[in-house]
Amino acid sequence: MAHIKVTRRGMSPEEWLELRFIRLKRHVYSDKAEIDTFRIKDARQVSEMEYEFYDGGEFRPLRRGDIYFTPDGTAFIEADFEVPERFRGRDYCFTLQTAAEMTVKVNGIYAGGIDPNRDRINLSDYVKDSSLHFEITGYNRSKPDDERNPEVLAVRGCRQIFEGGYLAIVNSAVQSLVYDIELLRDIAVSGKFGEDVARFYLDELNNALNLIDFDFFCDEDVLAASDYIEKHIYSDKTYRGSGRVELVAHSHLDIAYYWRRIHSVQKNMRTVLIQLRLMDKYPDFRYAHTQAYTYETLEKYYPVIFEELKRRVAEGRFEPAGAMYVEPDCNIPCSESLIRQCLYGKMYFREKFGVDVDNCWLPDVFGNSWILPQILKKCGVDYFVSNKMSTWNDTNRFPHNNFIWRGIDGSEVYACVPPTHFISWNLPSQILENYEAFQEKNSGSDTMQMFGYGDGGSGCTEEMIELMHRFGKLSVMPETKHTSGRDFLHDNLSPDKKLEVWDDELYLEMHRGTFTTKAKLKDYNRRSEFLLREAEIISCLKLKDGIPYPAEEIRALYKKLMINQFHDILPGSHITPVYRDAVKDFEEITLGAKAHAKGEKYFNSLNFKRNSFSFIECEGPDIRHGKKGRFVLSGIPALSSRELPPAQGDGGWFEFKDGIARTPLYTAEFSPDGGILSLKEGGREWVKGEFNRLRIFYDMPGNYDAWDIPANYKEREIAVKTVSPLEFVYADGESAALTATLATGKSTWKRIIRFFRNSRGIEVENIVDWQEDHKLAKVFFGCNILSRKILCDTSAGFIERETHKNTSREKAKFEFCIHKWCDMSETGGGIAIINENKYGAGAENNEISLSLLRSPVRPDPSSDRGNHDFCYMIYPHTGNAVEAKINETALEYNIPLTRADADYDGADFYPLILQAMKLSEDGKRIIYRLSEQNGERGEIKLNKKLKIMNMLEEELYETDTIEYSPFEIITAGEEI
Amino acid sequence: MEMKEYINGYIDERIQGDGGEVGFVSLEGNTLTLLFRGECSKCGILDRCCDWIKERIEKDLGIAVEIVPVRKRPYFQDK
Repeated sequence: MAHIKVTRRGMSPEEWLELRFIRLKRHVYSDKAEIDTFRIKDARQVSEMEYEFYDGGEFRPLRRGDIYFTPDGTAFIEADFEVPERFRGRDYCFTLQTAAEMTVKVNGIYAGGIDPNRDRINLSDYVKDSSLHFEITGYNRSKPDDERNPEVLAVRGCRQIFEGGYLAIVNSAVQSLVYDIELLRDIAVSGKFGEDVARFYLDELNNALNLIDFDFFCDEDVLAASDYIEKHIYSDKTYRGSGRVELVAHSHLDIAYYWRRIHSVQKNMRTVLIQLRLMDKYPDFRYAHTQAYTYETLEKYYPVIFEELKRRVAEGRFEPAGAMYVEPDCNIPCSESLIRQCLYGKMYFREKFGVDVDNCWLPDVFGNSWILPQILKKCGVDYFVSNKMSTWNDTNRFPHNNFIWRGIDGSEVYACVPPTHFISWNLPSQILENYEAFQEKNSGSDTMQMFGYGDGGSGCTEEMIELMHRFGKLSVMPETKHTSGRDFLHDNLSPDKKLEVWDDELYLEMHRGTFTTKAKLKDYNRRSEFLLREAEIISCLKLKDGIPYPAEEIRALYKKLMINQFHDILPGSHITPVYRDAVKDFEEITLGAKAHAKGEKYFNSLNFKRNSFSFIECEGPDIRHGKKGRFVLSGIPALSSRELPPAQGDGGWFEFKDGIARTPLYTAEFSPDGGILSLKEGGREWVKGEFNRLRIFYDMPGNYDAWDIPANYKEREIAVKTVSPLEFVYADGESAALTATLATGKSTWKRIIRFFRNSRGIEVENIVDWQEDHKLAKVFFGCNILSRKILCDTSAGFIERETHKNTSREKAKFEFCIHKWCDMSETGGGIAIINENKYGAGAENNEISLSLLRSPVRPDPSSDRGNHDFCYMIYPHTGNAVEAKINETALEYNIPLTRADADYDGADFYPLILQAMKLSEDGKRIIYRLSEQNGERGEIKLNKKLKIMNMLEEELYETDTIEYSPFEIITAGEEI
Repeated sequence: MEMKEYINGYIDERIQGDGGEVGFVSLEGNTLTLLFRGECSKCGILDRCCDWIKERIEKDLGIAVEIVPVRKRPYFQDK
């Protein structure tokens, strides 16, 4: 018998509920008075508080139905209106529906914010006059997909239709019923609560709404429906939920993303204002707000709102959360950058509010380096909050939500990675989903749900709080408790809870492309970090000569660096104008840092003798990074300046013939494209498979184009042709160069391969005109080495990662973040790949790959197109990476000699690496940041006592012997 | 200012602020063909933006044009 599928043609109960709900919402306002005196002028924001106006900045009338806003536009809207007689003495609001984000001032008072998720402001609470003067500033940009309102989503764009602005009286009975139905409808239709529960709620909601005659709408019916719900739904305890979820209000604000940093000043102000207004209405409402930088901008540009914020902070209701200055990427910045994030973030909160923030709040960051727990701990941060590993991993479920995170050196912090997304709006289904996914139910701790709109800020709504207030009436839900971030962490991540330890990096199985996207920003970042390091060291050494330390200037440059390490700037996940702003900032950092390096001699800022070559600009035979110069083995001692030895010798040590290069160390056979077919050192062959082979793959991850590399990227690649086969360029007493030029249909790729008389390194410079779309360029090194591990620099020690793919976890780690080097070794020797500005790499069996360039189109259609010039170095060595001092070689490679006359005669901290030498923030001491980077322990005897400090530059104790353990970062202070 | 320079400079800079990109393709008579990429390529109300560009061209360059928008969607939105 044929089966006939039943097709519903009539209205389902769910549809009938939805229909009547929509009709009910039309009665939320019992009276409206249209403001018909709006006028508008259009502008474009050009700095934090500056605007360029169109058409002379003249106001024009703005009427309902007019098109308003311009691309990248800020609109200034004003109106004057008399409160209607019938409104006076009553509670009334201002309502306006818009796809834009607006701040509303009335009679000079910041009344509130309006956007796609909130269309009204309680006005009569703040303005008592009957004559109203409106000043509205609107910016027509929200994150592409954070609007809940589908009607607004459908017409999102630069130019909107003005829907009119009104004074309105809210029918509180209708509004309350709307909130009830919003809550209960979710239980009925979300599918999360089980069939019987859904049926019960659907039937009873139907019964409640049956009491309302929508054709002859009246308050009595509304009250009857509300009463029904109270008696038949809220009072019914047949269905019971379990567990508890703690609710923390917050708003994630990207300081740049699909908007420039200048726009985030207003986004932040509006977000804070909205939450302050909610606090006025709801005495129990508490809210957490991160990023000291955003508080700084509020203080500077909107001091009136900042004063209000301060009062709420003092009350304990507005919570400064997250110790860091911004929410930075936590893969790419070096350890000193992350330390400064905590130092300047915490300093700010202590100074302005007397608050010691002991948590790190990073919900949207793309994975977290293993070095972070130590840094947090030593900055007085005991709690770490993230989210993406729970909600975005593409392969494996991250196995913890509340846990202890152990770092590279053994330091431990408490960690919370909630099971559901950090943007939620307090629907019962979201709460239930969180609890059901919570993995530490038996630990004695609760789970956390963050609520509030974000990415573009804006935060919580009245609706979210109203829903939250009703949760206690529902027996079917987990129990809930509204709390602060700090209280949640202290109450639930504590020694009495049974929490497991995660002893590894917090690798995000997604967004792996962000290690490589926007190659120039990665280059700027690496250089800037080392330039600032050098500027501080030189400035400290100049104190002896009576030259004041430029503390304000250096702090300002460091803050500029930290801002550009934000997790949507440095990773490359932003629109074109954000990139331009970042480049401008990095240029300013470069100029500012270099200004402190002056002199005739060459200065070695490393705290060990230079043993490797350096490139110096002069009239020399080579051109590197577009500058003429030569390579020199300087031998300059630690933290000293010297003149350089003159060029000597000739190129007789090097021979290139028939594709084979011979040096005192190597015999290297090349293919015409610069790939190495064989690299022998004596009898030892280093190559197995393709080595130094450039491969360009299709890179099409989908919507998250700038963010992701698909796991199957190796399936398709494009042909890279050799246009000019490898040929000899020059050889002098120190170096020799070969060059080949490759091309695709769109791009050219010139390779300069350099050998050195006195170094094991083989450098490859890449001069690229990159015009591809959706491609990933990688260079591969098939090594004649048997190892199941690759060591990767983190900037404060190394992490070992597996090269086999036994489990899904290893398979998912096909692309990972490295800093200056990675190394694969067996007993007796290995190969390091050292880079000067790359962060993405992979390793499988005996093959290392270094990611060089990408070319996504979203969010920036022109990302990475253009000229690139970067180097990496192949470094075969004897022994393992520690024995071969790979880390020191990589530091020399990344930190060139600089022209400065400066010398240091203080304590010798070697073998610890001098990460920073700076004036303390209080100006009283020289601070030395020392990092053990080889995994060793030992002690250093000093010739005098120094203070050992935490990373906030607070004294711990005094000593003349520094005892260090593997991967430890030690901060020492010396009185000036 | 030449139309190409105006579109690829002044107008594109503003369009980029919303995650889009516009490029000059051709001007034949008074028919101006523009290529829209990024967020613009999938915008449901691109016509309003074209009207604005038309108004700006008239105000700034004194030229009346009709705009023909060409959308180049990225592959993952080309459905």
